[in-house]
Amino acid sequence: MTEGLGLVGIVLVSHSEALAEGAADLVRQIAGGATVVPAGGAPDGGLGTSPDKIEAAIEDADAGSGVVLIPDLGSAVLSARSVLADLAGETTAQLVDAPFVEGAVAAAVAAGTGADLPAVIAAAEEARDAAKF
Amino acid sequence: MPPSSEDDVAERVVVLPKPLHARPAGQLAQLAGRHKEATIQLVAGEKKANARGVLAVMAMGAVTGTEVTVTVTGPGAEAVADEAADILTAAEAADA
Repeated sequence: MTEGLGLVGIVLVSHSEALAEGAADLVRQIAGGATVVPAGGAPDGGLGTSPDKIEAAIEDADAGSGVVLIPDLGSAVLSARSVLADLAGETTAQLVDAPFVEGAVAAAVAAGTGADLPAVIAAAEEARDAAKF
Repeated sequence: MPPSSEDDVAERVVVLPKPLHARPAGQLAQLAGRHKEATIQLVAGEKKANARGVLAVMAMGAVTGTEVTVTVTGPGAEAVADEAADILTAAEAADA
């Protein structure tokens, strides 16, 4: 449990603004209470990723207990890494290798129950081994 | 808390009035998160899941009419089992 601080925040990094926002809506519905911030699309709203959007999302999601970044594919990973490199030492945000939807759901449910950063990361990573049915 | 509470066990058997989809699975996981000392186990036919694992609960694929046995072990088992049964039997139109 976190003490005296807010919940661990979740940032969803996608090439698509609609995908990031839709996934965040879905995850909030399931996880209730968790902070889930979308960071999708290029700066002009087209497909792509935006370091500025990712950095702003990390700030929005940070309640003092850490932030987990879940990327969708490829350059979402690279953009997230470059933001984390720029913020080195100024953020507890961590990039997690997890499936986008299942990882976000598992991470947000864990975060919503007050789990700490390592536990939220573990929940997201475990989602890779979870069968869909 | 008396030491015997660690051994509390409560069981509820419910018939789902709705599929066990994402939202109730999330509510069960939240319930499990609020009662970290208790273990909430779900069984439906040959499928089993710990309520803490939201993805595992969804993967049970339990549909309307499925009989689900909820077994809670640990402190406050009776109350937690009641809450779990309420989540499983709550009427809900949306399937998210």
